[in-house]
Amino acid sequence: MSRLRVAASLIVVGLVILATGAPAVSQAPKYGGVLNSMQREDLPQGFSIHETGTISTVWPSMPCFNNLVLFDPLKKLESMDTIVPELAEKWSWQDNYRNLVFFLRKNVKWHDGQPFTSKDVKDTFDMVREAKDAPAKLRINPRKDWFVNIDNIEAPDPHTVIFHLKRPQPSLLLMLASGYSPVYPAHVPAAEFRTRCVGTGPFKLKEWRRGEYVEYVKNPDYFIKGRPYLEGIRYVVIVERGTKYAALQAGRLDIAFPGESTKTVVEQVKAAQPKMVVSVVGQNVNDNLLLNVTKPPFNDAKLRRAISIAIDRRAYVRAVHQGGAVIGASMAPKPFGVWGLLDKDLTALPGYGKPADEKAKAKKLLAEAGFGPSNPLRVEMATRAIPIYVDFASFVINELKQVGVEATLKQVETAQWHPLATRKEYQMGANLTGIGADDPDANFYENYACGSPRNYTGYCDEQVMKMIDQQSQELDSKKRLEIVARIQKQLEEDAARPMMGWRLDYFAQWPHVKNLVPHHNLYNYGRMQEVWLDK
Amino acid sequence: MATERVVADSGLELVTVAAPGRPRTGWWTTLRRFCRKKPLGAAGGALMLVMVGTALLADSLATYDPIATDAANTLAAPNSEHWLGSDHLGRDIYSRIVHGTRVSLIVGVLSTLFGSVLGGLIGLLSAYFGGRTDLISQRLLDILQGLPLLVLALVMSAALGPSLQNVIIAISIPIIPRAARVIRASVLSIREMQYVEAARALGLRHLRIAFRHVLPNTIGPFIVLTTAQLGSAILVEATLSFLGLGVPEPYPSWGRMLSVSAAEYAQKAPWLVLFPGIAISLAVFGSNLLGDALRDTLDPRLRGS
Repeated sequence: MSRLRVAASLIVVGLVILATGAPAVSQAPKYGGVLNSMQREDLPQGFSIHETGTISTVWPSMPCFNNLVLFDPLKKLESMDTIVPELAEKWSWQDNYRNLVFFLRKNVKWHDGQPFTSKDVKDTFDMVREAKDAPAKLRINPRKDWFVNIDNIEAPDPHTVIFHLKRPQPSLLLMLASGYSPVYPAHVPAAEFRTRCVGTGPFKLKEWRRGEYVEYVKNPDYFIKGRPYLEGIRYVVIVERGTKYAALQAGRLDIAFPGESTKTVVEQVKAAQPKMVVSVVGQNVNDNLLLNVTKPPFNDAKLRRAISIAIDRRAYVRAVHQGGAVIGASMAPKPFGVWGLLDKDLTALPGYGKPADEKAKAKKLLAEAGFGPSNPLRVEMATRAIPIYVDFASFVINELKQVGVEATLKQVETAQWHPLATRKEYQMGANLTGIGADDPDANFYENYACGSPRNYTGYCDEQVMKMIDQQSQELDSKKRLEIVARIQKQLEEDAARPMMGWRLDYFAQWPHVKNLVPHHNLYNYGRMQEVWLDK
Repeated sequence: MATERVVADSGLELVTVAAPGRPRTGWWTTLRRFCRKKPLGAAGGALMLVMVGTALLADSLATYDPIATDAANTLAAPNSEHWLGSDHLGRDIYSRIVHGTRVSLIVGVLSTLFGSVLGGLIGLLSAYFGGRTDLISQRLLDILQGLPLLVLALVMSAALGPSLQNVIIAISIPIIPRAARVIRASVLSIREMQYVEAARALGLRHLRIAFRHVLPNTIGPFIVLTTAQLGSAILVEATLSFLGLGVPEPYPSWGRMLSVSAAEYAQKAPWLVLFPGIAISLAVFGSNLLGDALRDTLDPRLRGS
């Protein structure tokens, strides 16, 4: 074969490989550089992740901390199979999922030089689950119910921790892998995290200038050698939406803020900067309607059902989110979550059929409950005075008008919203719920369990509670999936908290930002340990 | 020649005789003269009339229910069905602007009237009685006037919460000191007039003098004041609605139509901000033109300028 033929063959082979999608040649990570991240508002609870319920705190605080375990930062979809070790080197389930033993890393130091031990783990989770002998108490404790099944935590030696459970609960590990579950140092009072941060994480807090920025520098003593790649991170607080995306477009920011980029905004950014990399991921945040079951009129299940089926979910997604959301029941739909109902099951649920038929059914139910054109049902709908909430409420009010329900809107400030919902001082509300881990335990115990402070509607059904406990201890994943599907159907049938849709995030980042993989969950990919800049 | 008899508390009888003046002209002649002399003012008046007509006939003029969403027609450009396009929830912008006129006009007129009447009364009594009453009331008004109209309205609105009546209260309170100042200045000169002296000399009661002989002579400045404040009130209402402190959703208000959601889609659908913006501008422009022309006409010092 002549040299010319060999060269021609090589060129052809090369072109074919390029055309068919050559395997990506992994670039060697580069060290150095400061990552500039968007921060949508100042940190409401400082760095106190255990006291917060918002990504505004979790995102800029995660680089300071570590968990026992974490969802693999490089994998989009989170599940039991994507959990990787952090402070725990390895773990082991014992006694048929009743005891969870963590073997901790040695030679880990807190940012202030103190050694990390099993006492730190025990004290942290005793505090969160509000154990009788807990050394500290949180001012607000949104996720106490995640750990309600822990009987006690034992620290037999400085590098072993055992979580003794009341009954088997395999998904405890998932909740410990959430960004909401960092380990705090036992020697620093929990209240101090509202103003400063001492963690074991890849970055040390340099400065928090309130309302302006949060600045981190690389932790030189980080327990994983060779990490992090970045020299530092700067979270720049920009509240006004136009300004923050102008900063991203101009290159002043390298990455957007999780959950902040809507489809429309990102289309505009992409049109201006075609190089911008946009990842469409689920947020594990849903829009849901709160119907207060503890007070009239929605203590009447018939009326709740009428309201639920009157609302056209598909139209909601098209109008309110411009298509930037998907419909689903109480667990994140596939492919953004593991537990979502199949399409055929979803279509059979109230509110998902043909809009005209569903509205006719709603009118019939209202008439049966004694409401009609001469005696319309009048309700007040409460929501936060934020555009995304107000749009949601406006849409629902119009849908209800079509079946003869007269709803008026009451807007409340953000600071008043959660206390109002917790005290159940409303009839109907437009609400958003973010779930820290895509797991039925994390969702059901927090939002639907009888007596949970975050069960804003007050819905409490003995049969559903039994099923929730049953799925929680089910070891066979197929069987568990079936029970979870039954629970979801029941919750929608009962209009416990009618789901409107699950939000998508259009996460935007410049192409020079590497190894930052947005997950189908806002709360779990902010560690920044693997991120590097190709500059 | 018209005469009027007034019996004073002292028992004396005062007979007033109206001086011969120019022959009375009809309102149509006055209007035509105003239009000829102040064409810009007349244009402003016409704009305000259109606004009043739109507000009164909003239900007939609107082509859609202003709160009806339509998922199939979101962000539709102006077309034969949606004359001014539709917003991100598919609501018809033309119908929302038409219904929004009601909110703007009701808030503008009622808050201006409420603020001007209350402020006018304070100004009248403060100037008429003078002394400590004047001193105390003016220092209180100084405090109120120290805050700009928008800032005070914002504070009031945030404290009271978003609703139609609260917006009216929030906007009218900052108008009070301005109205009080104008009427007070007017009353200070009127109370020194000879006919007021005469009424006092006859022993008429203070309140009777204030309301019968002084107040009617402040009507000119009062009209100028209210028309001048109307534009500001409409603008402040739009600002409060823009900031989410105005009339609550889903009922339309021009300011709210310009708010954050619209700003998000403005690049893709500029009609979302263009048409409500034009409506606000025309309303404020109209009331300012009318106010300026009325000031020129009613103020003797500016008459003919």
